[in-house]
Amino acid sequence: MTADPADGPARAPEDTRAARPATAPPAVKAPPRGRGPGRLALALLAPGLLALLLTYALPLVWVVRMSLNESEEGGAIRQTLSAATFGHVLGSGHYWNVIGQTVELGVLVTFFTLLVSYPVALFLARTTSRWRSLLIALAVTPLLISSVARTFGWMAILGTQGVINKTLTGAGLIDSPLHLANNFTGVVIASTEIYMPFAILAMISGFGRLDPALEHAAASLGAPRRTVFRRIVLPLTLPGVLTAALLVFVLSLSGYVTPRLIGGGRVFVLATEIYDEAITALDWPVAAVLSMLLLAVFGVVITLYLRAQRALEARFTGPREAGS
Amino acid sequence: MGDTARRAPAGTAGHLVLDGLAKTYPGKDGAAVRGIDLAVERGSMLAVLGPSGCGKSTTLRMIAGLVPPTAGTVRVDGRDITDSPVHRRDMGVVFQSYALFPHLDVARNIAFGLEMRKVPKTELKRRVDDALSLVRLGHLAGRRIAQLSGGQQQRVALARALVVEPAVLLLDEPLSNLDARLRSAMRDEICRIQRETGVTTVFVTHDQQEALSMADRVAVMNHGRIEQVGTPEDIYERPARPFVAEFVGRANLLDGTAGDPDGERTSVELPGLGTVSAAGARVARGRTAVVMLRPHRIALTAAAPGTGGARGTVLSAGYAGETVAYRVRVGDTGPVLDVERPTGAQRSFGPGAEVELSWDPEAPRLVAAVEDSEPAEAAEPVRESLS
Repeated sequence: MTADPADGPARAPEDTRAARPATAPPAVKAPPRGRGPGRLALALLAPGLLALLLTYALPLVWVVRMSLNESEEGGAIRQTLSAATFGHVLGSGHYWNVIGQTVELGVLVTFFTLLVSYPVALFLARTTSRWRSLLIALAVTPLLISSVARTFGWMAILGTQGVINKTLTGAGLIDSPLHLANNFTGVVIASTEIYMPFAILAMISGFGRLDPALEHAAASLGAPRRTVFRRIVLPLTLPGVLTAALLVFVLSLSGYVTPRLIGGGRVFVLATEIYDEAITALDWPVAAVLSMLLLAVFGVVITLYLRAQRALEARFTGPREAGS
Repeated sequence: MGDTARRAPAGTAGHLVLDGLAKTYPGKDGAAVRGIDLAVERGSMLAVLGPSGCGKSTTLRMIAGLVPPTAGTVRVDGRDITDSPVHRRDMGVVFQSYALFPHLDVARNIAFGLEMRKVPKTELKRRVDDALSLVRLGHLAGRRIAQLSGGQQQRVALARALVVEPAVLLLDEPLSNLDARLRSAMRDEICRIQRETGVTTVFVTHDQQEALSMADRVAVMNHGRIEQVGTPEDIYERPARPFVAEFVGRANLLDGTAGDPDGERTSVELPGLGTVSAAGARVARGRTAVVMLRPHRIALTAAAPGTGGARGTVLSAGYAGETVAYRVRVGDTGPVLDVERPTGAQRSFGPGAEVELSWDPEAPRLVAAVEDSEPAEAAEPVRESLS
């Protein structure tokens, strides 16, 4: 750490002390250490931190390290510290296509999932029916079935010989079957359904600001139903929609099963590509680089989410508090 | 809009008129509201007073259009609005929870109704400013709702409802979410605002103090019916039914046997207390009658031998600062009366003291024959608040 004294005051005391030239002013007093509550908190955090270190931090470091290695002809991995694999991946049109398709899938799946989940979530959040809890449980029951099984279910529905095509050809509405499976369309349709329970749950829990009295108040002030929705319900439910969007987008970016099974080997996204490179091609450095790129996409998404969330929250707390 | 809301009275029938208004909820035993007839004069303030679950909030919601009535009509200025949707009713509603829009600042909350009415920008700004100064919140126009105190939220809710100059202002338990000190300040504030705007106002409350001190007229409700409508003085001094006597203020209700009528008054034989002469309801000779005696209108003196008044024994004495609340048993086996005496100049009595009870002749009030009053009904489920 070669801290410049000019930016010293903003840094942690340890840093300034280590790099402080003899002429610099005395460092700011170090915070008191070894306080009881602090030590207890640390003790309570330790098991979790240890688990995270072993299952998250170390593997991540390992992946970062692997991304800096190179593969040689014949599949051997050469231990080195170079950006050659990054260069190889980023210089290839194929991988850019994969990244593009991953993001496109994420955006489409998020859009359609939110579109179909929003009315369901709004109904479940607002209903005063005594069946409300049961209905919410029902909306979430698909999670009890493995997404592999649900994906196979969609193959049976969307396939050339599937329910939809048989019905349509049987009714004489179409001559040749629609291409709904083994392509991008099929992946979007199946993923949308698979992420719906997550979206519904996230939205319901994010709809806390919705209050029937607010809708009544707006109506009493002269707002017709559509205006009440546009001016009151929609703005108040946006935070929940935003959370659901983040959740679905992230799940979809890292989704493996559905693109693999319904994609029919024709849909290439980062998750399937990483699997293929790591398990089939045994090109671990490329798999590691792709993983790093996936992380980078996550980083961008989460940054956008936080910005949007801050902007939304500012509407409720006021500009004065939003800044601090 | 303001001009139509304030034009001269069109007849004497009342500005807001409810006619046989009733509400039955499916799957519930008994009706929530069983036929309300009520006329509210233009520019006056009516309190609908009643216990939880008496149907007063449902009545207010039916006036606002938030609940469709099962039967009956709502008319404003003679126009039947029973089937008009909420947003075309031109009613200002202040909800118990205030229901302010959390994503809009104070000024935009108040502007909402004007925006719905497509009021031009400059006029909108002026009217929002006027409304803000009416409720004395001009300095908080840019604040978010979350940054306001309860009293400030109440004022914003009032301003938002009044800025559109509604035909009728409806307030649902307007003071119930405020602490005691703020409550009396807001009580005066609501009265001032109502006087200044002259808007016909109906407010719902379970607090008799609020109803008596704020309203021009009070409608007392119980079990979905109106028990009595009258000025606060009517309601308190001349209750028509035992329920009103007990719900508004404290009352001793004594069953007796009606004797001969004597002009406006009827003599009633009360066990243990002798015969009293009371004005009020008409009760046929020999029937059971209920006589009301307000606790503060009974005087206590130390029992002295030889006087002929009613005697009793003090069972308990509760000191409450300005007054002492006694419970006094009349005779040895007679009824137990609540008596309230001011502290200070009065002589006070401890438990066990022998006292003589007296009252001025106007104090006893004949409320109603027992047969006339409502049969005892199971308490209805609590249906509180508009939201």
